[in-house]
Amino acid sequence: MSIQALQTEIERKAEEEVSRILETARQEAQRIVAEANTKAASLREERARVLQRELDAREKAELAVARMDVRGKLLRVQSEWANRVFEETEKRIGEMAEKGGREYQELLSNLVLAGISAMNGNKFIVETNARDKEVVSNLLGTLAEKAGKNKGERVILQMGTLQTRTLGGVIVSTEDRVQSFNNILEARLSAASRKLEGTIRRILSGGGKAGE
Amino acid sequence: MSADIKELQELIGRERVSEEKVRKAKEDAQAIVKQAREQAESTVRAIESDPGWEKLRRARNDEIGRKKVEIEEQYKRNVSALEKVAHENYEKAIARLIEETLRGKL
Repeated sequence: MSIQALQTEIERKAEEEVSRILETARQEAQRIVAEANTKAASLREERARVLQRELDAREKAELAVARMDVRGKLLRVQSEWANRVFEETEKRIGEMAEKGGREYQELLSNLVLAGISAMNGNKFIVETNARDKEVVSNLLGTLAEKAGKNKGERVILQMGTLQTRTLGGVIVSTEDRVQSFNNILEARLSAASRKLEGTIRRILSGGGKAGE
Repeated sequence: MSADIKELQELIGRERVSEEKVRKAKEDAQAIVKQAREQAESTVRAIESDPGWEKLRRARNDEIGRKKVEIEEQYKRNVSALEKVAHENYEKAIARLIEETLRGKL
């Protein structure tokens, strides 16, 4: 081989080597970038999924709290109305008792008879507030007679005065005070309020019938 | 100097030039790969620092805020309706409670 040919061969081989090195580097670079793009797409997707989940959970929680909050406020408004009904009822019952009259006398009689019929025995103490004492005392004979008929035996009643302040009504106790029946108006109103709490709320919200 | 020696020297010179070209190509190759790696890292890093996430978060916060306002407005309408109906049925409720309180057994 001539020197000239040798020179050409050296240059050709060098060019080949340069091309090979650069081509390999370019391919490696393409691979790195392609892998990075794939990884980035996957990471982006995962990040988006995580963020979406986080935001969904936050929205759900925040809106649940907001709904609970307004539901609580709505219940408070309903309770306020129900309390107004309870307070006004107490006031009106108090006024009715204060006025007395036939209707209230009949009520007192019924309350005494209900107490007697709920307990065993034939000797009872009927207690009222000082205001009602005279009225009930005057009815005592008639009430003992009616109660006796109901029980089928002679009933003996004696009067007592309640020391506590009440709207009205009676407490009937057996003579030995082992049993007693609380028919004080506040107690009855309290029992009725507990019993009808749901009904009163329904009536107030337009959903209940007065006869319920 | 004979012509042969001169040619040989020239050949050695050409070979050195060729070696230099290969060395330079290796350097260039390393630079190409390094640049690709940097680009790759930057592509991955860009995901975390993407302002799109914050934008999405803000948009969702705004949406949650709007829904809360809707809930609050619905509550006000419900309270208003409740007040009206309760007012209309107030006497009925009192009558029912008085009736229950004053009637026979509880």
